Amino acid sequence: MTDRRLAWLFVLPAVGLVALVAIFPLGWTLWESLHLHDLRMPWRGRPFVGLENYLELLGDPRFRDAMLHTLLFAAVSVSLELALGLAVALGLDRAFRGRGIVRAAVLLPWAIPTVVAALLWRFMFESQAGIVNAALVSTGVVEEPVVWFVRAATAWVPVVLADVWKATPFVALLLLAGLQGIDRSLYEAAAVDGASRWWQLRHVTLPLLKPTILVALVFRTLDAFRVFDLIYVMTGGGPGTSTEPIALYTFDALLQNLRFGYGAALSVVVFLVTFTLALIYIRWLGAGESR
Amino acid sequence: MVRRLASLALVVLLAACGGGTADDRPVVTMSGSALGAEGAVLERQLARFRRLHPGIDARLQRTPDDATQRHQLYVQWLNARAGDPDLLQLDVVWTPEFAAAGWLLPLDAYGPDTVRYFPAMLAANRWRDSLYALPWFVDVGLLYWRTDLLPAAPASIDVLTRTPDGARWGIVWQGARYEGLVTVFLEYLGAFGGRIMDEEGRVLVDRPEAVRALETMRAQVARGVAPRDVLTWHEEEARFAFQNGQAAMMRNWPYAYALLEDSTRSKVAGRFAVAPMPAAAGAAGGRPTATLGGSQLAINAHTEHPREAWTLLAFLLAPEQMLERAQVVGQFPTRPALYDDPRLGRALRIPVAQVRAAVASATPRPATPVYTELSGLLQVQLHRALSGQIEPAAALRAAAREMDALLERTGVREMMLGGRP
Repeated sequence: MTDRRLAWLFVLPAVGLVALVAIFPLGWTLWESLHLHDLRMPWRGRPFVGLENYLELLGDPRFRDAMLHTLLFAAVSVSLELALGLAVALGLDRAFRGRGIVRAAVLLPWAIPTVVAALLWRFMFESQAGIVNAALVSTGVVEEPVVWFVRAATAWVPVVLADVWKATPFVALLLLAGLQGIDRSLYEAAAVDGASRWWQLRHVTLPLLKPTILVALVFRTLDAFRVFDLIYVMTGGGPGTSTEPIALYTFDALLQNLRFGYGAALSVVVFLVTFTLALIYIRWLGAGESR
Repeated sequence: MVRRLASLALVVLLAACGGGTADDRPVVTMSGSALGAEGAVLERQLARFRRLHPGIDARLQRTPDDATQRHQLYVQWLNARAGDPDLLQLDVVWTPEFAAAGWLLPLDAYGPDTVRYFPAMLAANRWRDSLYALPWFVDVGLLYWRTDLLPAAPASIDVLTRTPDGARWGIVWQGARYEGLVTVFLEYLGAFGGRIMDEEGRVLVDRPEAVRALETMRAQVARGVAPRDVLTWHEEEARFAFQNGQAAMMRNWPYAYALLEDSTRSKVAGRFAVAPMPAAAGAAGGRPTATLGGSQLAINAHTEHPREAWTLLAFLLAPEQMLERAQVVGQFPTRPALYDDPRLGRALRIPVAQVRAAVASATPRPATPVYTELSGLLQVQLHRALSGQIEPAAALRAAAREMDALLERTGVREMMLGGRP
């Protein structure tokens, strides 16, 4: 019993810290979201309005669109990152000369600050003279330069590409670590039994890599769901609002329009969605481990 | 350790004695652009003011030059009822917002010489019959045109819908989804006789004039008179295109003039002029319209030294100071009389005759406390229409609906009609 109490005593500082930096701000945001609080209209005061902000949110087409954009962006970019990351990891797992240098080089995009990377990609795709248009026109893929950021469908292309370029190294490195933890003798046994490489990948590598894949998936999905800087720099959410993710819309409500109540409601919804996603993944992870 | 504590106590003690000054003169702080030449000229004027009024200690408080950042900072300070800065440099669209919030001191009691300013600029600084700020310098939208490609300054919007021989594009403007797009739209809107809203807060952007204005802009993009890229462009991208000789006309602000004149960088130096944006031929009520921009000076409602703040404000707005700003940073004065003063002609790079016409057609954006949000709603719908996601009429209907809802929800329309908040 004293041991238990002592244990509690030891965790107390950590719990206190978490309460201070995570639970308190969260509670505050929740409380704020139940108020009408518009910093630029002090004459309206800060009355308690219950769920009014949430009701407005449900009827707000821009919120609905932003949610949809975010989910689509997360689904597409994370799938691509996972597939490419796995391919890169498998490649890097082999023994070859200069492997150390290649591994370090692969990590480069991940090390570049997102805003800088976003600017680089924007310059490549922007304008008629951008490098991408120059390449596409000179190879005859298109006749006229594409104005990427002016149409909804084409504006997503550079955004997703930039995200994939930036995050794939992270996924690859994580998966590589997982790959190296797999016992080599399993492959030898499989080879002795006459299993092809493809069969080995499907029945040895992937099942054993599942926990690592899930970790990568959790990190990337949550990151993708909160995407902000990349899109803020590249399209600003345009054309119109057709590439606006939920984080950008929240920023707009909170910091451009200074609608703290409504912005808080948006933040709470974003939190709930990411939290639910995290819970689902953790369950999934736990299930994998117990077996 | 003891010595360090002692010196710390000394510092605290010294700081407590009148915030760093040895005397007890009232300190008046002013906040505003303090970058480069603009900061230097302001420091010089403040020094002159201190010599002229030894009883007042005027100081500059630096604030970010980016409008959005400065706005955010002001809102935080004023919400907290801070008495500093006493004097605020405001963007032209902020005055009604800050006035409605009770953050600005009405200036009427000081007997401002209102007849000596352009009426449109004063209108932008009024809220519910009181004057809350005075115009410091003015920025107006200008039509830059190539004197070697066009026979004369465009006299009608029709000229803006064709690409003359010898140019890759007819016209370039600012079409990204930001405030700049609204300032461009306002000029086409005025050309067709339309308005964004009237004094009673009635939203007019879904009227036929507005639809024609937006259709004209969309046709420019659709027919390639303006490149599709303009929908991602801000001021500088448009300037680069014009500067490289790719466009016959450009809508931009006065700052571009000096840069375009620089023959080491510009291919069009000596081959362009400026004019006001023309009206649409045959449109009822259509008039040449230049969007009014620029800076205002206002007094913080919570200032401890209103009299002294007013003295500084009046000093900075005096003709001499305005002429100096025109000469050093090329900013246009807000007093019509100065446009007849030969010193202005010598001070400005840009010919005064060309400026005067544009300044005379300066039109303010709607004077409402929710302007920024209103403009945000309009920006989205304009951009959707221009990028072909929706028809102009439908986009403007949606914008009007959303703007109406905003004015209702916030109670601003009632305030504009004179009701108490």
